[in-house]
Amino acid sequence: MTDTPWHTVTIRVPFANPKHATIAMQVIDVDPELQREAVKRTLTVDGNDLVASFATSTVRLARLTTNGFLENVDLVARTIGEFGENSERDF
Amino acid sequence: MPGRRRESPLKNPSRAYIALGLEGSANKLGAGVIKHAVDGSTEVLSNVRHTYITPPGEGFLPRDTAQHHREWALTVIKDAVAKAKITMHDLDCICYTKGPGMGAPLQSVALVARTLSLLYEKPLVGVNHCVGHIEMGRQVTGAQNPVVLYVSGGNTQVIAYSRQCYRIFGETLDIAVGNCLDRFARVINLSNDPSPGYNIEQEAKKGKRLVPLPYTTKGMDVSLSGILTSIEAYTSDRRYRAQGELDEVSEDIIRPADLCFSLQETVFSMLVEITERAMAHIGSREVLIVGGVGCNERLQEMMGIMAQERGGSVFATDERFCIDNGIMIAQAGLLSYRMGYQTPLAKSTCTQRFRTDEVHVAWRP
Repeated sequence: MTDTPWHTVTIRVPFANPKHATIAMQVIDVDPELQREAVKRTLTVDGNDLVASFATSTVRLARLTTNGFLENVDLVARTIGEFGENSERDF
Repeated sequence: MPGRRRESPLKNPSRAYIALGLEGSANKLGAGVIKHAVDGSTEVLSNVRHTYITPPGEGFLPRDTAQHHREWALTVIKDAVAKAKITMHDLDCICYTKGPGMGAPLQSVALVARTLSLLYEKPLVGVNHCVGHIEMGRQVTGAQNPVVLYVSGGNTQVIAYSRQCYRIFGETLDIAVGNCLDRFARVINLSNDPSPGYNIEQEAKKGKRLVPLPYTTKGMDVSLSGILTSIEAYTSDRRYRAQGELDEVSEDIIRPADLCFSLQETVFSMLVEITERAMAHIGSREVLIVGGVGCNERLQEMMGIMAQERGGSVFATDERFCIDNGIMIAQAGLLSYRMGYQTPLAKSTCTQRFRTDEVHVAWRP
């Protein structure tokens, strides 16, 4: 880390089980952040939760990154919510 | 064309294959299910689409379009699966548009595709949007080896197939023809429902005079941004009347219908010309028109006149397949998948720029 101050945001999103949280993590992790030098992202799974940590160089980037992440995780969570139960049947 | 007949690398499948295709590179969100049967036939099991329509005078921006796709993706996909009378478990693969197109909308659809892929443990297949149009056009019309005119809001290309590659013979040097038409529709405040291009076509039918416009073919290519500037300039012309059904032919006035008519006649003539150049170059007699602008019946008519003069014919599809849809992604995706191609999760990104000739067309000889 350089000596410029970083703004950090940590978001914790609970899922029904660790498997779903891991799927969400894998899906979102595919796309790199648009400004990789200015935005550092870490995704992990803790129990049933997806934990996302961001460190950004400006407050504006913190807002944009957080907003983008929440829009995406909402879509993935709704998809898992809609199809998740059905996907486990028949196996 | 002479030459030894190469065998198709794609053989009839030993069992039926079913694929789901997801499309969202522009303002249309589509999901479709396709089936490749043992006898080599292809069947469209479902083709569902929802379009993000903006108010008159406005175009669609990436952020709002992505939001529309996030809102409608699950509904459209569930509808497509239900109409196909299959379950997600029946799918062989999940195909999605890798590009080209608008970044945020593409990514929204890719997120759903990846999630479904992991939930149901199905392979992902990233598809080139342009190749999707071509493959669906070929499938629906049965055209053997046509010159393809791909015209939409985002793309304008003349394409011919050779040795496992869709080669671009000519294209727009700046904006797509659909983009030109759509942006002019905004200037004259036409409705975007069902699409600006459709409304320009209807308006053009009422046109009575042809105003002079630049005619800008550049060899095998076309340039359209200058024509857009010119046609927009006519709305500031002192002879222009924005409204009022003045039927006085004697008066020297220009109405929106006249501008729509003039714009269509000019740009379509240019497209017919560059298509004809490609046909002459490779000695083809078939033209296949794909992409949203391909729905335009005047364009089909003009192309038909040219093709007939050369002893050839024009193939076009209806709006179910012309306009962006999910089934074309399923078709092109399933063809790749059957030739052994799939996209690993880590590589299932999207890209705004994805050239048609970057795709290895493994399923054709």
